[in-house]
Amino acid sequence: MNKKVTRIISLMAVFGCVTIGFTSCSKHDENSPGVEFMPDMYRSPSLETNLFDVIKNEDGSYDTVLSNRKPVAGTIARGYMPYAYPNTIEGYEAAGANLRNPFSKSVVNLKEGEVLYGKYCSACHGAGGEGDGLVGGKLPGAPPSYKTVLKTLPEGKIFHSITYGKGLMGSHAGQLTKEERWKLVMYVQKLQGNDAPIAAVAVDSTKTDSTAVVVKVEEPKK
Amino acid sequence: MDTMCNKPRKQILAIISFLFLSFIFSANNVSAADGAKIFKQNCAVCHSLGTNKLTGPGLAGIATRAPGDEWLKKWIKNSDALRKSGDAYAVKVYNDNNQVPMSAFEFLSDEELTSLIEYIKAPPVETPKGNSGATGDLAAAVPAEQGMNPLALLIGVIVFLIVIVAVLRGVRFSLKNLQNEKQGLPLEEAVGPWTELKSWMSVNKTKTGLVILFIVGGLSSAGWYALKGIGIYEGYHPTQPIAFNHKLHAGDNAIDCQYCHSTVEKSKTASIPSVNVCMNCHKGISQGPTTGTAEIAKIYEAAGWDPDKGAYTKPERPIQWVKVHNLPDFVFFSHQQHVKVGKQDCANCHGDLKTMTTAQQVKPLTMAWCIECHNKTEVPGMKDNPYYESLHKKLAEKYKDQPITVAKMGGIECAKCHY
Repeated sequence: MNKKVTRIISLMAVFGCVTIGFTSCSKHDENSPGVEFMPDMYRSPSLETNLFDVIKNEDGSYDTVLSNRKPVAGTIARGYMPYAYPNTIEGYEAAGANLRNPFSKSVVNLKEGEVLYGKYCSACHGAGGEGDGLVGGKLPGAPPSYKTVLKTLPEGKIFHSITYGKGLMGSHAGQLTKEERWKLVMYVQKLQGNDAPIAAVAVDSTKTDSTAVVVKVEEPKK
Repeated sequence: MDTMCNKPRKQILAIISFLFLSFIFSANNVSAADGAKIFKQNCAVCHSLGTNKLTGPGLAGIATRAPGDEWLKKWIKNSDALRKSGDAYAVKVYNDNNQVPMSAFEFLSDEELTSLIEYIKAPPVETPKGNSGATGDLAAAVPAEQGMNPLALLIGVIVFLIVIVAVLRGVRFSLKNLQNEKQGLPLEEAVGPWTELKSWMSVNKTKTGLVILFIVGGLSSAGWYALKGIGIYEGYHPTQPIAFNHKLHAGDNAIDCQYCHSTVEKSKTASIPSVNVCMNCHKGISQGPTTGTAEIAKIYEAAGWDPDKGAYTKPERPIQWVKVHNLPDFVFFSHQQHVKVGKQDCANCHGDLKTMTTAQQVKPLTMAWCIECHNKTEVPGMKDNPYYESLHKKLAEKYKDQPITVAKMGGIECAKCHY
């Protein structure tokens, strides 16, 4: 009897091993998403964001193009306001002289600016704005500090630099909306050591903005 | 005692003063060191000390190019004024560099300028981090080829066992007949393996039944798991056109996920960054720690950037990234809702990319997985968002003392995601 039991157990073990072998032997191909049931529901003919599309040219050849097409030349997005200062040294100086932040300094705006700074700037400029970010140290030249070299940089020039980029820094206009950029400017000024008091009354943006055509951003309603 | 103590002390003093003196002499120029600092703070953002162009021209050979130190000082202080005064070489430099004027550095004193120019003329020779080191790193980064294919191993073992069984059968048969011959018994006839197996099976019915049960059970469980994996991309880890290393960027360098995937709070998709976002840093960084210049050169190719001229002169070619996380078209999903209001961390659905190289799908992204999370997750961004104030009040009254999960506010209604 005992012998029979041990035999059965050993048999079970053998077949258990065989089963595991069968289920685990199919080597997973990392480049394959696996078997799809009704693939046309997973990959519909309609275009998906950030993917590619194959188009047929007039001469019968094929081209792979981005599914996100460039808008027709001259297209203006809803709510878009053109930025009047060109990407030149004159534009930079003019922006520094004329542009004013349409947002009034408030705790909420500063907080938003701080969050944005942490996401978009601190990697190079450092958490305290001293140009000591991890990536900044790997660049040929670390970004200058807001506390020394850039201490007196006016808000208009900061905005202009984020919009067009400056030196090694590229334009961040694609990643940040105009509103976000102004909130960032507010926080950068705090890092510069600008401790202007937080305005008790919201300032009318159109009055302080000497280039009202350029920025007509309203303080978001609460 | 005294002398014994004093002697080594004197020696140490001598060694220290010798080291100190040699340090002073080896740092051949104190002002050049200052120049290095000034250069790094003010100039390196646009100029390299080599021949390659960043925003401004490379400064190698400036001593032979420029009209002289006094000219250089004037140029650095205010290049615009120098150019407008009609200086011929200033106009030439301006025109040679796409008419982009250099910023003015009026705040630099004359001594600072002297040390800066000294430094630019004779920068310290950098030890070249050649490609040999980079390729060595690359080889180390590529994982070693994985061990033996388990299927081949299994088949090998089975064949080996069959051979052993056949050999042992033959040995047993000849031994038995040898014994029979000795004892004068009639010889056994050779029996085929199949006949023997059948006769064994008819005698041992329980064992045969068990074996069949295990085979059927094993195959059906294998089939069941295979069926369950249909349409699930978990573990999908495609090779990308550029071996972008998430660990290096988001982990080691602590760049926020949103720096590149910047529309995650504004749009349905988190967006794959366009090459200009790569170029925000890689305009200045052309060599990485694991793949050297090979992978970053692909970014330059895509952006049409000429690293020698420091300008976008070539045709642009978008990078054809392979999409990893794919939801079928019959389901709606918005990153904006989940990240902005739901305050979900990227890692909840995408795994810890700070430890991954190229992205891999680590969650099944099945409906059961969605619902499981909707059933237990509250919406942290709702409480202090004025937009949801009245809705939140109503829900709080309805579900007193209970957590208000996504499911309770309609997050598992069919039409929420399928319409």
